[in-house]
Amino acid sequence: MDQDRRGQWLRGVLDVCVLALLARRESYGYELAQALDRAGLGQIQGGTLYPVLLRLQRTDLVAAHWRDGEAGPARKYYRLTPSGEEAVRRLSTDWRGFAGRVDDLLFPAMEEVTSQ
Amino acid sequence: MSDERWLHALGQELARHRLAPEVTHHVVAEAAAHLRDSGQPALRAFGTPQGYAAAVAESLASQHRPHRRPPGRVRLRASQITKRYGRRTVLKPTDLTVHAGEVAAIVGANGCGKSTFLRICAGLLSPDSGEVVVDGVLGYCPQDGGTYDFLLPEEHFVLVGAGRGLDRARSRRLGRAGAATLQWEAGDGVQARHLSGGTRQKLNLVMAALGEPDVLLLDEPYQGFDRGTYLDFWQHVWRWRDEGRAIVVVTHLLNQLDQVDQVLDLTPATREVAA
Repeated sequence: MDQDRRGQWLRGVLDVCVLALLARRESYGYELAQALDRAGLGQIQGGTLYPVLLRLQRTDLVAAHWRDGEAGPARKYYRLTPSGEEAVRRLSTDWRGFAGRVDDLLFPAMEEVTSQ
Repeated sequence: MSDERWLHALGQELARHRLAPEVTHHVVAEAAAHLRDSGQPALRAFGTPQGYAAAVAESLASQHRPHRRPPGRVRLRASQITKRYGRRTVLKPTDLTVHAGEVAAIVGANGCGKSTFLRICAGLLSPDSGEVVVDGVLGYCPQDGGTYDFLLPEEHFVLVGAGRGLDRARSRRLGRAGAATLQWEAGDGVQARHLSGGTRQKLNLVMAALGEPDVLLLDEPYQGFDRGTYLDFWQHVWRWRDEGRAIVVVTHLLNQLDQVDQVLDLTPATREVAA
């Protein structure tokens, strides 16, 4: 996929994806980056991810605390707040509606151009 | 750039964005943990320290906006100042009032009288008409000059300190501390004539601010500063404002203007609508 396009799309949904991952369990930045990569969204650099986490924390959708790692350094763990859980519910519905409308435009168009 | 240097630079950049020390500490610690976990070089994972610090500051924008105290009493009032050199009118009647805790910027094209107006405010030059009233101790930083070729930086501090009622030891200590905040080690015995232009301007700035004057008049004091020191300079300006000083800065650089409290534009065609 075109990398510019991927970046543009990702900017619109990265915070939503991060909230979705945190809905499963609390996590820290690097682990979230790995999970996003495994989910097929590609490598998200720290310079992109942490500002998103800070914004989510500022707007009170996630809460953070520091915890010592078993072997390594202390890590900042993030978890959803009640308003974060509410946001996940709302955003999931919103996304399904929005993506569905884009699908409804795209796929008939694709059939048109492939049948010609 | 090694990761350690990158993290150090990040800390400095975050401080320049006026983030609280504990916030800076957490952001740096989180970036350090990420680098250890991922094994990536810092530049690749986060980009430049400047860029990442700006992104962090923006994410925290509503949090780090400093709460402003209401401005205090009038510290400087210049009323209807005019100045001519021969037939040439340098200043048409100009007013400026600055309260404690305010920053005023003086802008305008070359030769429109910015430095002349500041020198009149400082009492170094007489206006042809009008009046300047200053309430409190005044510090003035000229655009150039202002240093003594054969004196050491410390001797400058003692000289200015004496005028502000500080003893020699205290003047030296305050001067050295002020220099250190501008990334300059002022303790070594180099006469002013051997200092670089940028360092001489640091000396001027440290002298102007020595002993915490109530009014600071700064005439483009950052000429010859590198980028980092330039940003440090503006952080000083905002801190002085928070401490309740009245500050007037002559500047031609416009990117700080949205943060100042008033702008006096001395460009002839626009001055009626400005400020």
